Amino acid sequence: MAPKSGRLYAKGVFTGFKRGLRNQHENTALLKVDGCAGQEDARWYIGKRCVYVYKAKNKTSVPNSKEKSQLRCIWGKVTRPHGNAGSVRAKFRRNLPPQAMGCRVRIMLYPSRI
Amino acid sequence: MAKNKNKGKPRNYALDSGVYRFSASKMFHKKAIHKFLKKTVAKKPADKKPVFVEKKIKGDKNGGTRMVRVKKLTNNVPTMDVKTCILHTKRKSVFSKHSRKLRPSLTPGVVAIILAGVHKGKRVVALKQLETGLLLITGPLKLNGCPLRRINQRYLLATKTSINVSGVKVPETINDKYFARVKSDNKVKKDGNIFENKKEDYKPSEQRKADRASVDKQVLEAIKKHPQGAALKSYFKAGFGLNKGEYPHKMIF
Repeated sequence: MAPKSGRLYAKGVFTGFKRGLRNQHENTALLKVDGCAGQEDARWYIGKRCVYVYKAKNKTSVPNSKEKSQLRCIWGKVTRPHGNAGSVRAKFRRNLPPQAMGCRVRIMLYPSRI
Repeated sequence: MAKNKNKGKPRNYALDSGVYRFSASKMFHKKAIHKFLKKTVAKKPADKKPVFVEKKIKGDKNGGTRMVRVKKLTNNVPTMDVKTCILHTKRKSVFSKHSRKLRPSLTPGVVAIILAGVHKGKRVVALKQLETGLLLITGPLKLNGCPLRRINQRYLLATKTSINVSGVKVPETINDKYFARVKSDNKVKKDGNIFENKKEDYKPSEQRKADRASVDKQVLEAIKKHPQGAALKSYFKAGFGLNKGEYPHKMIF
């Protein structure tokens, strides 16, 4: 039938937490989305769900599957654009761990507005 | 009768203090009003209104009827004010009464990309919106393995490509109830069968297969008629995926 489909998410990087110079607020993460250059581009991503996927040593259960896996994820949502250069603010169910800074965050294409 | 010496003189007169000399009862006798009063009819005994009324109630085991007071007792105060009761029921929004919106880009016949779920990445044909707001889609099955299915609009990316499905007749029986999950009739036995996992793999019923086949046939014909029919077939077979340099915010789907 159909071959396994390709990537269905936009690539992004977790650049840091929302912060002033000397204080940071970890409940809001800043994401730099690939190819997103300005606020208008960033507006496309508002409301889209995002995931931080990472691996851990112990195997944990996966929903709808009997096999356990080492992959874990933290789900979140893009809330608003950040600044003029295409960055975006996101809130995750649990705050992102600081070791995720510089790491890949996937921004899904749903909930779709097209 | 003796001559009335007092003729012309008023019977009642005011004293210096302003009070009249004779009271109403004295005047009654002086004027002999008893002669002019009509005889009153004896009062009829008032119709006795029933205190209790028998009313029918629902329910098999409730006895059928109840004796209800016609006039409620003063100490019969409802636990909740009737006005606030009505307010509460008006504020509740029931799912069945929600307004269903449809994105203008998702008209019947539009080719859409499924963004999540088992069939993610597949290009499918949107057929119509069902009563609960979900969209009815089909692969068609032969092209990409996606059956006749319900999906939420939020998980569909509408493309500009659309197929003329005005000729496709979706049977009226295909509605939300048709797709409702079938509850297993297995009653929990007390012999310890509760602990057995009785998850059976989903197998489409014959009804589903027949409906799917008939709808798909019509959709495939509509695809054939499309000016780019041949290309569309391979379009459906291929999945969607983002590649390097492809950014969704810059793409027109």
